[in-house]
Amino acid sequence: MLAQVLVSSVTAGAVYALIALGFVLIQKGTGVVHFGYGDQVTFGGYLVLIGQVVIGLSFWPAVFFAVLLSALLGAIIYGAFMWPLRNASLLARIIASLALGTVLREFVRAYMGPNAWPFPFLLSQTAVSVAGVLVVPANLAIVVVSFAVLGLLFLLFEKTIYGKAILAACDNQIGASIVGVRVSTVFLAIWILASVLATIAGILVAPLLTLSPDMGLIGIKGFTAAILGGFNSLLGAVLGGITLGILEGLAGTYISSALKDMISYSILIAVILVRPQGLLGGLMIRKV
Amino acid sequence: MTNALLRVENVTVRFGGIVALDKFSLDVRSGSIQALIGPNGAGKSTMLNVITGLYAIDGGTVLFERKRIDGHAPHTISRLGIARTFQNTELFGEMSAVENVMVGLDRHYSYNLAIGMAHSPGYRRSEIAARGEAQDLLALVGLADDTAIAAAALPFGKQRRLEIARALATRPKLLLLDEPAAGLRAAEVESLNLILLNLRAEQGLTILVIDHVMALVMAVSDKISVLNFGRKIAEGEPDTVRRAPEVIRAYLGEKAAHALGA
Amino acid sequence: MIPRVAICIAAVATFFVTPHVLAEYHMFQICLIAATALVVLGLVVVTGLAGQISLAQSAFVGLGGYGSAILATSWGMPLWASIPLTAFLVSLAGFVLGQLTLRISGHYLALATMAFAAIVQLGLIHSDQITGGAAGMPVPPFRIFGLTLTTGSRLYYVILPITALLFLIVWNVMQSRFGRALSAIRQSETAAEAMGLDVLRYKAMAFAASGFFGAIGGGLLASLSTYLDPAQFGITQSVYFVAVAVVGGMSSPFGAIIGSAIFILLPDLLQSFQSYLGLVFALLLLGFIVLRPNGLASVGLSRYLGVASLRTAGGWW
Repeated sequence: MLAQVLVSSVTAGAVYALIALGFVLIQKGTGVVHFGYGDQVTFGGYLVLIGQVVIGLSFWPAVFFAVLLSALLGAIIYGAFMWPLRNASLLARIIASLALGTVLREFVRAYMGPNAWPFPFLLSQTAVSVAGVLVVPANLAIVVVSFAVLGLLFLLFEKTIYGKAILAACDNQIGASIVGVRVSTVFLAIWILASVLATIAGILVAPLLTLSPDMGLIGIKGFTAAILGGFNSLLGAVLGGITLGILEGLAGTYISSALKDMISYSILIAVILVRPQGLLGGLMIRKV
Repeated sequence: MTNALLRVENVTVRFGGIVALDKFSLDVRSGSIQALIGPNGAGKSTMLNVITGLYAIDGGTVLFERKRIDGHAPHTISRLGIARTFQNTELFGEMSAVENVMVGLDRHYSYNLAIGMAHSPGYRRSEIAARGEAQDLLALVGLADDTAIAAAALPFGKQRRLEIARALATRPKLLLLDEPAAGLRAAEVESLNLILLNLRAEQGLTILVIDHVMALVMAVSDKISVLNFGRKIAEGEPDTVRRAPEVIRAYLGEKAAHALGA
Repeated sequence: MIPRVAICIAAVATFFVTPHVLAEYHMFQICLIAATALVVLGLVVVTGLAGQISLAQSAFVGLGGYGSAILATSWGMPLWASIPLTAFLVSLAGFVLGQLTLRISGHYLALATMAFAAIVQLGLIHSDQITGGAAGMPVPPFRIFGLTLTTGSRLYYVILPITALLFLIVWNVMQSRFGRALSAIRQSETAAEAMGLDVLRYKAMAFAASGFFGAIGGGLLASLSTYLDPAQFGITQSVYFVAVAVVGGMSSPFGAIIGSAIFILLPDLLQSFQSYLGLVFALLLLGFIVLRPNGLASVGLSRYLGVASLRTAGGWW
């Protein structure tokens, strides 16, 4: 029984991990905490839907359409909002990212209606018994993709010159540009990458949660996962996601299923207060 | 020393693996102007932040008027009579110069929230008196004509002086100045010297200055303490310290010290 | 510069004449605007003045509405008493929430207040016995001096004076040393602390104030809508209130009124596009935050009314 709970939780955890990866990517890459990212995930799923329902494409062309448009969206978000606001106050930037998310959410609510849409699973939905535990292939795909994305991003940041350029640009914009890193290009690339990642996450997650305008509220869970992992660490994002999924699953089974969400939010507040650097992050001291 | 207003005893501060202050001790005599100098990164600002309660210490004690203040919150320490300025000016940029100073005075013209809500005569009287005293303080530092200008709009030199006026508004017994002369022109340093000497002469204010600008330090200090790598390497009257070999070595390096025959 | 006395007389005259001139529908809207403005006033204090991001406002509104209604239904307390009592209790909750600012600020504070809002909403949904759960609960009618006030035209006589009084109080406080202190804290906490201000206590008080005004607004909104639905008190609504504050102008109480007026009256202009309402609000927020972050209140109006001392509150950016 415990094993079953754990296996199911890992799926939920992988969902959180995927979203957390996007958060951390944007934060690590551009220094912005994007509160509207959860809504971008939803929007990605809806783009596929729009491709199918409105334009009449079949599934995979619609996916391609969605990926293309989300790349464009990423570019627009950066060019029209993030770059102009780069020197604005922290509050302005937080509210702007919230506003972006809200715009995306309200757009799909208005354009595609407030009700949930069914979304096709990429892999089989039927549970398969593995060593006495039920595993759903479609859910497994989410876990696999999370780790795959993590692996790719890790390689990007640690092993390639581009990755190092990104980290440099984020850490010290002036210094980076002096050594020839074009900061604006780097940031643009990050936003496009993160937006595409959001769409991929949306496609994987939508069948699980059913696609509705408010699906993006899962963003908070992604946040919690990212914070658990230290917010500055890609590996932490994945570990944080899995951890959150397991904690939630255990709480849901052994304490109360209805209070599952409340427990997650409480975990968020607790982590923020007790150990804001998460499990893997380090502390920073501000010089006066 | 019985008239040490401030006594720092064997204070150690560590940031992770770095020792910013290493059993550092300092006495500041009441009514004197003292300076703390040393190369960049020596630990001077750390010392200031320790005194004002921004940093916790890992050893030693800090005594003000013979009572321990280490471990207290910054606003409590401020209320005991210690005021400071900041290395990177931390002015209230959107507020006018006079409003900046009034924030420091408010403690001495306090009226309660109910009066603040109702704007009764007590409120009016307090506000007018506070504003008056704020304007006097601004005149003291030479900003009489800039009272209504937003702090962020003032030129750098005036911002530094506003910081001092604001610190004085809290009616401190001890004034800590963090690099007040940084970025000032020679003439501005001159007027700053006069202001500090005046404050000591007329109000008996005790001042501890951190700075690199020797034109200030040499001109106003009764005693100079030199800090390097978190340790005190010299202390004494300005002329003595200026010629001390350890000091020359710390600032200019071994070779220069040799060249100067130290 | 128009003398203050003339403005007061004009205001009072307008107050009494209006119900005879406008239809019930518009009276209801005026009440909605006033109650919403009170909620947003909370944000003006905690975010505009004290600089603390808060996405908890919808939780305070919900607690205010439900608290007042429950005290009225279960304990028979009349709304004119249960609303202020609830607001006081909610302000205590706000004070506790404000203690969070000891450890966190910026992004983490935004998240923590979001989580708070989510927890409160879930609490309201799952406490079926007390709150009626997801189905919501009805609000008893507002009774005072033996009169039952259910229409906008009648609740007007209670809501407007309360709103005016609370706004005046906030305005006065902003011009006092307390407003100065909060404004200073917003601009530099380090310097404020160094000048003897107990920054944590001030921030917690600002949160308490936001809780108080949110709850009063919530109680009044509940009386107007006569029904409480927990779906209306979530993070989305917190963002809505932030939008109203941004568009109207967060650094001034006037902004709360201007913003509320726009957001309440806008749906009328978009008659046939009701389903796009949310999108329009979101676009307004986005547009203003990028192009005009100080909101509308920073444009001319305030200067015309001779309130140059708004500078004590300072701009927000």
